[in-house]
Amino acid sequence: MHTRIFFNQLKMGLILYTRVPAAMFWIIAFPVVMLLAMGTVFGGGNDSASKLVWERAGPQTAADTLLLSVLTAGGTVVEIASPSDAEARWKGGKLPIMLVGEGGRYTLRINSYLAGQAMQAKAVVQQGFLVAQARAQGSADPTLIPIVMSSPGGHQEGPYAAFLLPGLLGLNVLMIGVFSTGIVDVTLRAKGGYKRLATTPLPRHIYLGAQVCVRLIVVLVAAALLMLVGAIVFGIHNQGSYVSLAVVQLLGAACFICMGYVLASFAETPDVYSGIANLTFLPLMLLSGVYFSLDSAPDWLQRGADLLPLTPLLRALRAIFNDGAVLGSQWSAVAIVATWTVVLFALATRRFKWV
Amino acid sequence: MTFAIEASGLHKSFRDVHAVRGLDLHVGRGEVFGLLGPNGAGKTTSLEMLEGLIRPDAGEIRILGMDWRRQGATIRTRIGVQFQITELDDKVRVREALEMFGSFYPKARSPAELLGLLHLEDKADAYQRRLSGGQRQRLALGLALVNDPDLVFLDEPTTGLDPQARQGLWDLVRQLKQEGRTVLLTTHYMEEAEVLCDRIGIMDRGQILTLGTPRELIAGLHQPSFAEIEFLGSAPDIRPFADRLGMAVEARDQSWSVPLTDAKKDLQAVLSCIEGLNLPMQQLHVRRASLEDVFLQLTGRSLRD
Repeated sequence: MHTRIFFNQLKMGLILYTRVPAAMFWIIAFPVVMLLAMGTVFGGGNDSASKLVWERAGPQTAADTLLLSVLTAGGTVVEIASPSDAEARWKGGKLPIMLVGEGGRYTLRINSYLAGQAMQAKAVVQQGFLVAQARAQGSADPTLIPIVMSSPGGHQEGPYAAFLLPGLLGLNVLMIGVFSTGIVDVTLRAKGGYKRLATTPLPRHIYLGAQVCVRLIVVLVAAALLMLVGAIVFGIHNQGSYVSLAVVQLLGAACFICMGYVLASFAETPDVYSGIANLTFLPLMLLSGVYFSLDSAPDWLQRGADLLPLTPLLRALRAIFNDGAVLGSQWSAVAIVATWTVVLFALATRRFKWV
Repeated sequence: MTFAIEASGLHKSFRDVHAVRGLDLHVGRGEVFGLLGPNGAGKTTSLEMLEGLIRPDAGEIRILGMDWRRQGATIRTRIGVQFQITELDDKVRVREALEMFGSFYPKARSPAELLGLLHLEDKADAYQRRLSGGQRQRLALGLALVNDPDLVFLDEPTTGLDPQARQGLWDLVRQLKQEGRTVLLTTHYMEEAEVLCDRIGIMDRGQILTLGTPRELIAGLHQPSFAEIEFLGSAPDIRPFADRLGMAVEARDQSWSVPLTDAKKDLQAVLSCIEGLNLPMQQLHVRRASLEDVFLQLTGRSLRD
């Protein structure tokens, strides 16, 4: 009897979910849009580093020729531009770095807004200059420190999209908990939907269990779609086990769904709730490194963020997805998320009210 | 007589509001009972205690002879509840809602049967959001009837409906009575209570002030009927008439209303005064007192205040 009610509720829950375009957009389409947009803008990592705009005023000198040949041989595509043309492009704000040659002297201009993207080109130009100088003096090429691009775990040499994708997986479970779960809960309680159910014999745990399972299924579908797009558009693939990835993703979803119920228990109307939800969502998203690594943030902030549930969740997701880590190696991150989940679950069950 | 609802000494407070103050209520099986009163009288709180949604601070409740604290699960399978506003998912279809609520019960009526009863056959596949107010209330009633309940609670079932939709819902309630179900409804429409209910309890400020059949309540008034004197255009100065008659007269824009204690004698007096003053009366008729008048006399306030 209860099993039948449960599957009935699960089926109905999934059908109703697919009928709400807003929910479908934010949970299923939004991560894909973000991956495509941000992955493309910030993205072709290696590509943007291998292009260099070179502003040159006078005719090409011998030194210029030498430097150019060294850079080109190293795989950099160099574009020579006149001062006025180069200035216009610099003003456009999209160039991370530009080489300026003036009367035998070179200057590297780095766009302070895009310093991160300029780093690789900067290293390439400086090394190329040393090589060109040595050759001009007839000495042997200097020994250069080799540069290797890789992710922190040392496996995937992916573009920015590879960093972003596991971040979006984490963002997705945060959103399904804080928004999709919490808002529905507050609305149903405020408008008497729960009250109506409370007059029927429908067991509370069956109803809530089905609601949670609907969201877990949606999370898995969204994750699968996101990874499919990542593979097709950016050629990035899960380096680890899909089972480990699913375990961590579902644990994260459970954690944030419980958080949604807890937060919702503090709000009487959907309006109040949206304030609470945003106050929770924004810091979690910004502090946990969904889009960018927090390496340059103050130490205390980083250590604080490490204790929030999203930061370790993202660390584990990235380790598995990008570096093929086994689940066991991520035990500390998993333990933090699991602790949060247990605490939030206990709070949610204590505070949940039908009426 | 066995009772569907037995309640005695119910009290309920919310923070500083004492919403229900000592409610006693016995509703027999097969009876349609109406709780009548203005907004804030404590009708909904009373209903929610009887429905097992909120626990009374004090008092005893037995529903179909059972106790909420020990037999709640069984009671729930045998009652049906309709709220003032039932918020279902906007995107649920009528048939799906009936199927879903049916799945909660060990035994449920088929959606097809309920759709026929509610005259919603052609809306079976419509989203509940797309229903009119009357259709939505009928669906809410259908959900309350899905388990073939012995006892049905209806909280202001026709509030906000147009007269035609209200009539349709009344027919459904009458049918429930014919099927032998017990119905407890709340309303603030006097007319609705008079038309539908076997017995009525008039509630104000958390208590039942008086209780009886509509006829008994009206007969219990000192002045069970009124003479209404209507004028073409605005009514003339009332003082000469009132002085001569020596009874209370209520003046309105185009008419006067005289409460009649002894209908035959008082009406003759009214007629002779009209004759004597040669008033430009257009017509005169006698109106039976309504529950509205009962409420006014009991509380000194109009029901719509």
